[in-house]
Amino acid sequence: MRIALAIARKELSLFFTTPWAYGVFTAMVALSSFFFVNLLATFQQVQAQAREVTWAMMPPDMTAYRNLTDGVMVQLWGMVIVITLFVAPFLSMRLFAEEKRNKTFELLMTAPVRPIEIVLGKYLGGLGIISTTLGLTLVFPLVLSSFGQAESGTALEWSTVLLGYGGVLLWGATCMAVGMFISALTESQMLAAFLTFAVLLPWMMLSGVAQATEEPLRSVLTYLSFDAQLQNLLKGILDVQTFVFFASVIVFSLLLTHRTVEARRWA
Amino acid sequence: MAMIEVQHLTKRYRDRVAIDDLTFSVEEGEILGFLGPNGAGKSTTMKILTGFLPPSEGVARVGGFDVFTHPLEVKRRIGYLPETPPLYPDMTVHGYLKFVAALKRLPSRELKGEVERVASLTGVTHVLGRLIQNLSKGYKQRVGIAQALLGSPQVLILDEPTEGLDPAQRAEVRALIKGLAGKHTVILSTHILPEVTMTCEKVLILNQGRIVAYDDLRKLAGSQGTSESASLEEVFIKLTAA
Repeated sequence: MRIALAIARKELSLFFTTPWAYGVFTAMVALSSFFFVNLLATFQQVQAQAREVTWAMMPPDMTAYRNLTDGVMVQLWGMVIVITLFVAPFLSMRLFAEEKRNKTFELLMTAPVRPIEIVLGKYLGGLGIISTTLGLTLVFPLVLSSFGQAESGTALEWSTVLLGYGGVLLWGATCMAVGMFISALTESQMLAAFLTFAVLLPWMMLSGVAQATEEPLRSVLTYLSFDAQLQNLLKGILDVQTFVFFASVIVFSLLLTHRTVEARRWA
Repeated sequence: MAMIEVQHLTKRYRDRVAIDDLTFSVEEGEILGFLGPNGAGKSTTMKILTGFLPPSEGVARVGGFDVFTHPLEVKRRIGYLPETPPLYPDMTVHGYLKFVAALKRLPSRELKGEVERVASLTGVTHVLGRLIQNLSKGYKQRVGIAQALLGSPQVLILDEPTEGLDPAQRAEVRALIKGLAGKHTVILSTHILPEVTMTCEKVLILNQGRIVAYDDLRKLAGSQGTSESASLEEVFIKLTAA
């Protein structure tokens, strides 16, 4: 475990010394701010409209806009998920591919280190990287809670917001696990990023495909799709099935990565 | 018992035979010079000994442990400098050596002293705080050697350790390696023939994956049908001409 932590620490410290890291942070914050501002504008519009005609007269799908939690944060987390889908492959691509290109993989593989320690260390490092990146988006609920007002109680319902954020982190952790496996397959970082994206995007949109199919295939596809799984958690509904699903995807990806690293010894 | 034992070692990449039926052994404390033209299989043999590549056939043992079945035991006993020094350009020399020391499971109490020891042995003490990417090629190579020496492993496998060094640095590294004899078992590959004459007791010459000569340096000249006074260079050219 000490070795895994040493590898994770190295991974993190290298990440923060590259300009790449700050580019990714900027992209993350800029894109989510853009959506945040848009969501706020829509929220204000709907609220103004509602003040004129009262909520009872508003169309039913507008009720989400009655409070900041459902009207802004839940939807913002939905957007952050999509941004993560684009950003995470660029964070996970380095994990193994760079070591191979750099010939430092030889150092890891000839040191008295078990493949499982390399994989865990790398993944922990990856988790640190994605959590930092996603942690930046916590600024939005903080802004809302300090400047927002509600008719009753606090401006935000923190339990809902934080559960949603938990969903975002879980999604980030899944992207990193899948990305790390793909990174272990190739020497080229660009290829790793592209393949990761090519795997994650269709997987994300599987629920759309499911609509066009018949039962029982539809239920299976819906169960397997990332966005259907995430929906409840993002709305702040604790759903054990979601955790089981994402934990399985993560563990399976780690096992595959371990096999890939191990396989070097055999072929 | 020999420290390094290699029996009938063969490595094939599909149809291409990289090394073919190598058998040799290195006694404890000995320095073996690995010679051969480019592509003769020196690096492949070293990669198999360090457990980075699996052999296609044959057995390699280090300290009595089979490289393939007990990789961790073997890796614990080996310090390895690959052909390209495995450096992280964005790390400082000190950070890098500390990281490698952790990989080698050195206890954290001894870590600081050990890093200082190998740094002074290889003469990189005054660049410890600099980023590796800003170092000259010679210093990068020295950091690579320092990394291999961490934890003073019983066996050192050095793939062209003097590559990229200027003549003065080369002499320093040669002296360093010579000083390691007795305490460490060393396999050293190089293109530079005088290097071998100056540092090694035994020489193994590879050509196209096969052993063409494996003998004490002094006996080599006589046994190969060249005159007793023939230089290693003449022997080398004669043997690898085929």
